[in-house]
Amino acid sequence: MMHPLPLLTPRRAHRRWHVSVLLMCGLLGGCVGASVEVPATFPVPLVEKVPLTVGWHVDEALANYVHSESLEAQGQWEIILGPSQTTMFGNLATGLFQDFRWVDDPLVANPGLSAVFHPMIEELQFSTPEQTRSDYFEVWIRYQIKMYDNQGALLGEWPLTAYGKANEQNYGMSSDEPALQQAALAACRDAMAFFTIQFHSVPVVKEWLAREMRGIGL
Amino acid sequence: MAGTRNERDRAIKTYRAITVLNDRRLTMLIGGSALLALSLLGGCVTSTVQQVREAATGIAEGESLVVLGRRSRPATGETELDFVTCIANGVSRGSGSIAVIQEEEFRDALFPWFEPRTAPLHTRELPEILAQPVLASRLEEIGLRYMVWVEGHTQRTDASGSLTCSITTAGAGCFGFLTWDNDSSYEAIVWDIKSGALAGRISSDAMGTSYMPAIVVPIPLIARVQASACSSLAKQLKQFLATDT
Repeated sequence: MMHPLPLLTPRRAHRRWHVSVLLMCGLLGGCVGASVEVPATFPVPLVEKVPLTVGWHVDEALANYVHSESLEAQGQWEIILGPSQTTMFGNLATGLFQDFRWVDDPLVANPGLSAVFHPMIEELQFSTPEQTRSDYFEVWIRYQIKMYDNQGALLGEWPLTAYGKANEQNYGMSSDEPALQQAALAACRDAMAFFTIQFHSVPVVKEWLAREMRGIGL
Repeated sequence: MAGTRNERDRAIKTYRAITVLNDRRLTMLIGGSALLALSLLGGCVTSTVQQVREAATGIAEGESLVVLGRRSRPATGETELDFVTCIANGVSRGSGSIAVIQEEEFRDALFPWFEPRTAPLHTRELPEILAQPVLASRLEEIGLRYMVWVEGHTQRTDASGSLTCSITTAGAGCFGFLTWDNDSSYEAIVWDIKSGALAGRISSDAMGTSYMPAIVVPIPLIARVQASACSSLAKQLKQFLATDT
């Protein structure tokens, strides 16, 4: 007597499908995405320092910023940016100003400071080589910089857009993670570079600097 | 008597086993050596180096140079990181070597002036950058005399043939023939920091064909095109900088 074939129930079929997809992903290594953390290794800008003491505020949202995105047929992607932001803005402030200190709240009085800067990430986008049909991972970050006086009043704000790219060909066979990480790091460096270069030409900063310099007789 | 015969039989068996083992080892050794020799032969590479001098050069003791890859946008044809490192290593080693500052170290030391968005594209932008006291002071501190911008890349220009590999119960093997052409084209643009002017340009072009015949085992005969372009360019760069005219 022949044994009946085991019945392939929808649940069993679904499980088999999942196992097959995972096995294929594991073998091909192409649909698993990547999770990268931007290393907190940033240089200090080499510029003439502004002879003022300012405050910087890195809020919880920035310090814990993680960008997660699921791409069709490319899996789950994650860029952990937050932990690097304190070092990034700390180094920026060290290079740009005579002195700086972290403040807990920019909206309250912070005596002894000429101004308080509060950076925020408005948006982060990235693209993979598969999407752009190129060899490059690309990352765009849009920051918004708010500037307060030492009494917590908003002086002004301006956008800071940054871009970074990395060629996956430079990173060998398992290139997704190192290349994406490098692209995100390059975007952070670009933000620092652009902030430093354009700082004196931002209208609100120009006015503030003129006022502060007059105040200290420069 | 019986004990002596047994010992003799055992000795003969051992001798035969050693002979068989030696024959196998010899065959493997010959086969391995042939494969290694074929792999080392590689494909043929033709390279050309050209130089245009714009000013007299020379490098004093304590002076150094930096080799930088162009990272400006748009993102097409960016020079490979390993090629830039290869040039830097080639210049800093061997006879007539010159002190080289690593690219990453240089970009960090002069941040943010040599980032993709801020790096000068022409020598006419140099005086403005060098006019900044903090920057001039840092350049003097690191002893930088020349800045070498490397542009170009290596690309596959042609490929043909086919290769099939299969696994059966009797074993695995490949059969076929593949061939491909690579073309490297690079240019090194030398800026003299002391004079703030263009010192010259050196271009290195190399092309070569790689082959991969496969009769059971694929044997890659790789034309090391990029390596050839790198060594030619590094050698010429050393000569260019060390010579006065």
